[in-house]
Amino acid sequence: MNYSLIIVEITAVLIGLGVLMTDLWISPAARKGLGYAAAVAVGCLLAFATGSLAPQHGLGFRDSFVVDDLARFFKAFFLFGAIVVILMTVEFSSRIASGLSEFFALVIFALVGMLFAASANDLVLLFVSLELITVTFYILTSFQRNRLASLEAGVKYLILGAVASAFMVFGIALIFGSANSTNFRVIAAHQTELATSPVFLLGLLLVLAGLGFKIAAFPFQAWAPDVYQGSPAPATAFLAVGSKAAGFVLLIRLLTQAVPQITAEWSRLLVVMSAATIIYGSLCAIPQRNLKRLMGYSSIANAGYLLLGIVAMSRSGSTAILFYLGGYFFTVLAAFTAMSALAEHIETDEIAGLAGLGRRSPFLAATLTLSLVSLAGIPPMVGFFGKVLLLRSVFESAPGRPDLYLLLGIAVIGVVISLYYYFGVIRSIYWGGSTPNLAPIRTSLGTKVALGTCIAGMVFLGIAPNGYLRIAETAIGGIDSAAGRLKSPALKKVSAHEAH
Amino acid sequence: MVFFKYSLQDPKLHLPQAGYEAKVKKMDSQLNQYLPVLMLLLVTSGFAVSTLIISVAAGKLGRRTKTKDIPYECGMLPEGEGNSRMSVKFYLVALLFVLFDIEVVFMYPWAVTYKKLLETDATLALGGMLSFMFILLVGYVYALKKRAFDWKS
Repeated sequence: MNYSLIIVEITAVLIGLGVLMTDLWISPAARKGLGYAAAVAVGCLLAFATGSLAPQHGLGFRDSFVVDDLARFFKAFFLFGAIVVILMTVEFSSRIASGLSEFFALVIFALVGMLFAASANDLVLLFVSLELITVTFYILTSFQRNRLASLEAGVKYLILGAVASAFMVFGIALIFGSANSTNFRVIAAHQTELATSPVFLLGLLLVLAGLGFKIAAFPFQAWAPDVYQGSPAPATAFLAVGSKAAGFVLLIRLLTQAVPQITAEWSRLLVVMSAATIIYGSLCAIPQRNLKRLMGYSSIANAGYLLLGIVAMSRSGSTAILFYLGGYFFTVLAAFTAMSALAEHIETDEIAGLAGLGRRSPFLAATLTLSLVSLAGIPPMVGFFGKVLLLRSVFESAPGRPDLYLLLGIAVIGVVISLYYYFGVIRSIYWGGSTPNLAPIRTSLGTKVALGTCIAGMVFLGIAPNGYLRIAETAIGGIDSAAGRLKSPALKKVSAHEAH
Repeated sequence: MVFFKYSLQDPKLHLPQAGYEAKVKKMDSQLNQYLPVLMLLLVTSGFAVSTLIISVAAGKLGRRTKTKDIPYECGMLPEGEGNSRMSVKFYLVALLFVLFDIEVVFMYPWAVTYKKLLETDATLALGGMLSFMFILLVGYVYALKKRAFDWKS
């Protein structure tokens, strides 16, 4: 068995355990330094994972673990996200009463789950990696344990997450019962027979429900607003970026790689799911007064847009998902970093509390505005280009499919509605009326660097998307060819065994 | 519509083809065995819902006294708050017990099948358990240093 395949994951586990152990022997004052050290360590791991020394292609552990271009793309994505979240936590540390080092360690453990999810080629690994992510997030969301809202978020996430996990594991059991295997390759090879089996289809539907919970798609979206509102800002950011992306990489693997024929037959279901998610997220965001809650509904709507790429059932659709997730990454991280920087100076999360921010801190105001403009999909920000790619991929698949044209119409209406609620926030920032407190807000150097990177990413990907688009295309291109190219020792062993 | 496809040249993927469809069919017929379970589910949920409805419909509203409204506790008078607080120590003990209990639960089947595991993949057989125990050891040191075993603190 080729153990070098999981070297990135093993290193991430060791970093997490190292953080946990180091904390026991250092003074509480040095904990911020530990956070920077953890970020540097994950940064080194990112450099290694994207370099040529890391495993490039491979299939191991009885075919349950795959390393291909798609997996490596998402591994880099998750590692980068974890670095930003750890740095954000250092900035946020004054609001975490106890257990700062544990917060870093938990972020890294969630990262391990995401790294495994990026490579999952088996329903069992899919489930275990998702559980690792979800269980760590139960703790992360309720980390500010003397804040009632944070506890509420944790409990709601726990209960709904447990229900979703139960659905998923039941679905996996049914799939295993009918397919005699949990491996994606075996399922892919037999999908024509399996498509006629009601047990298999029911199992797949239940797994889809579990994944729908992770990405906060309708009708499994109920947890998102409360959890987004109550969780500490770094946890929310990681939830929005990492957890959602993990759900989507698994959806791409399962729907377009393992069971593409059944997905094509279920196209109508996915169309309805996508449309309902967009409408629900957009309409419910309108009356929101709380910024984090608004971001929760916006995240639901964005899950709907991302589902467009799955509905398209084409290479360009999957590429568009990867591109959109990259842009969403910078946008959401910028917004949440700005929010956690503001948290010390503005007591409330209410949108009205942002009044006067334009004068108090032009930099934070500009960051928040730019990320909202990007989320609304206005050129030249990256959100515009991502939405265009997603809509175009559906449009390409649309001829002869009236339901897809309807979906396109709904998506465009959703974008128009989103203009209204995003610009409500921007209006509050710059034209929010008089405020008693006009003291300027200072931002630390770390925050400035993080925000600067995010803004540069948003603008750069919007103006010059080609380079990144090519990376996304490579990642998707590798999805089908990798399995053919691979000759894993496990496979050889099996075939040799069967030859006897 | 199908655009992602695994290579079917793989020897492993072709072999189970024989009789596969029959197996799938068999599983579907097996699903019929669960019909009694479905019926039981319907009967039990129907019973629960109908008793609730009947008690509301048939019960005489308005004849309530304070004594009637107290929770039934085997004939005893209930004392204290419903949600009284417990020391966090008890939860810690429970948590640590589960942690190390699970360790043993994993180790028994591993020890029973250890010789068989050695024949297939010796590195995985020993390395898997050692890495699992290493992670648990880290947890143990963490609990020790955080004084989770110290009852008095």
